Amino acid sequence: MHLFLLGVSHRTAPVELRERLDFASRDVGAAVEALCARTSATETVVLSTCNRSELYVAADNVSHARDELVRFLSDYHHVPVDQFTPHLFGREDAEVAHHLFRVAAGLDSLVVGEPQVLGQVKSAFAVASDRRCSGPFLNKLFTSSFAVGKRVRTETGLGEGAVSVSFAAVQLARKIFGRLAGRRVLVIGTGEMGKLAAQHLRTQGVGEVAIAGRTIERARAVADAVGGAAIPWAEVMSALARADIVITATGSQVPILTRAALEPIMGRGRRDPLFIIDIAVPRDVESAAGDIEQVFLYNVDDLQAIVQENLTRRSAEVQRAEEIVAEEVGRFMVWRRSRTVVPTVVALRRRFDTIRRSELERLDAKLAGLDPDARARVDELTRLIVEKLLLEPTEQLKALPDEETQVAYTDAVRRLFALRAEDADAAAADPDPTPSKNQPG
Amino acid sequence: MDAVPLFIYAAAAALYAVHFARRDGRSGRAATMLLIAGACAHTFIIGMQTMEVWNAPFGSPSRAVSTFVWLLALSYLYTELTTDERAMGAFILPVMALLQIVPAVVQGREGTDPLLDSPWFWVHMLSLLFAYASFALAGVLGLTYVLQFKEIKRKSLGFFFPRLPSLHVLDEMNSRAVTVGWAFLTLGVAVGFVWASQARAVSPDDPQVQAFSAADPKILVTVLAWAVYSFAVVARRAMGWHGRRAAWLSALGFVIVMLSFLPINYFVTTSHTFQ
Repeated sequence: MHLFLLGVSHRTAPVELRERLDFASRDVGAAVEALCARTSATETVVLSTCNRSELYVAADNVSHARDELVRFLSDYHHVPVDQFTPHLFGREDAEVAHHLFRVAAGLDSLVVGEPQVLGQVKSAFAVASDRRCSGPFLNKLFTSSFAVGKRVRTETGLGEGAVSVSFAAVQLARKIFGRLAGRRVLVIGTGEMGKLAAQHLRTQGVGEVAIAGRTIERARAVADAVGGAAIPWAEVMSALARADIVITATGSQVPILTRAALEPIMGRGRRDPLFIIDIAVPRDVESAAGDIEQVFLYNVDDLQAIVQENLTRRSAEVQRAEEIVAEEVGRFMVWRRSRTVVPTVVALRRRFDTIRRSELERLDAKLAGLDPDARARVDELTRLIVEKLLLEPTEQLKALPDEETQVAYTDAVRRLFALRAEDADAAAADPDPTPSKNQPG
Repeated sequence: MDAVPLFIYAAAAALYAVHFARRDGRSGRAATMLLIAGACAHTFIIGMQTMEVWNAPFGSPSRAVSTFVWLLALSYLYTELTTDERAMGAFILPVMALLQIVPAVVQGREGTDPLLDSPWFWVHMLSLLFAYASFALAGVLGLTYVLQFKEIKRKSLGFFFPRLPSLHVLDEMNSRAVTVGWAFLTLGVAVGFVWASQARAVSPDDPQVQAFSAADPKILVTVLAWAVYSFAVVARRAMGWHGRRAAWLSALGFVIVMLSFLPINYFVTTSHTFQ
């Protein structure tokens, strides 16, 4: 059994092609069902985000699986094979784990460390799992990837710090005001930038949003669009006195807010600080206004500088995150290798148990004299002997360092105990073949 | 005996520092667990000492410091568990560990002065120690407010920005801690005043009682602290002294309180030393 991955991502394919091969905009559940039904692979998961469409499978024959997946992509999306094959990338076994773990950690994202991708990996797996398209291999692979994502999040600063100007502003607002609920926002200016900023703050849960513009009609239009109130230009200063967060985005060539104008507002009666975000170019707020004790003044360049610094800081964390990924891939491969010996272990166990049962049957007549309690004890005793004999060889087989050695050892075991291939195949379906003392006989 | 909580608090302080730097949940939870263990051990020790000598757990300056640290541990734990905010621990725990060195090293003699045999003594001491614990919290909150304020104001978001709570939360908590502390400080001072006048009426010739005057450094410094905190409480409401000004005031107040509590207690005062 092999793990195999085929897909396109923002690293290999242009956006036009990614759009054509996208599953997310359609029904991912239907896609994974369709793939599951027609492929010879035993397990399938479809991961589709705006930056990637990836098919994960567990299959016996990799090249066969590859052909099937290419044909599936072509048929499902009605895209001729030769149009996308140059952009495809494929991964096998350890590489699959390495790739998925990097994706889950946000290392393969367009914006490194972005947190949404982990949720997308989780839901891709849930969709496949609900439809019983996933199985033991992909279950383990994906649940491991969630753990990697979580580890990278908590142990490194990869996902830290806002990496867009608007989120940098929201993060600052949160560090000044705590919760944004109930906070009043005043947007001065009726252009597109101001409108976008107001909409963004709305989605972040601020209380009221007021829009002030030189013409009340335009202010009303923007206010209607963002669900706020329009303020006539004459009342800007009184609205400002009530506001907690002010966004200035006018086309004015001279500053519209000066230190002298803000000082009386920030006087004794006011309890809370004022956070001014000046996104206008040229600037709307005199920089001296930022010297007022309780005024925090940020312009676009300031926010951009923060974003840049956060990006630099994130890239410094990449190395640590890659180390975690490598470590977890190692751990996954230990598990993965232990699975290659599983069919042999199960077949061996079956063989021993068959011998045990047939010997008990042979002695049936002689044991008939015993009372049921003693009979049960004899049964238990023989079972325990078999378990204990098998425990050590099983552990040793699972702990073998590489696949080659494992194949050699399992071959030897098969030959020594004359285990037939069909025994092993039948055993492969057994979920947990590890002999344990507590297993009922 | 007081060394046991000292070691636990020191270990907890280290863990809170690790948690502050790395911000992982595991070290944070471990730090809280360790602090709870330290507070439990401390409670047990203070309880045992009180039972042993059948006297208040602040009969000597050292034991008063120990009880103060214990109250601070409880107040901090209360704030941490109610706000789910662990960042302050990195600042409070070192203060606790440092102060706990005093009772662990200095074996204070128990006062057996008959003057202390009064319920007023309990009210006086407990309200003051609780007030000091609140002021310690407020002082640390003020310090962290200033650190956070500086980074935001200077637009250089560095080490503290992601680690400390928002300015609003820090200011609110500071306000609450100062108000509670001020109320208990007022109560403690008032009780002390009434109690001293009573003593003066009963035994006017006792030199100890005569020392209860405004000229005594301990009384002087305490009145000064009361003045600072009263100003902080009033200024916040009437003059709009929020944020950084309030933060500095609470830090200043705490320095004065610590002066009154440690060096003056041990070396200077005559009025508050009991034989």
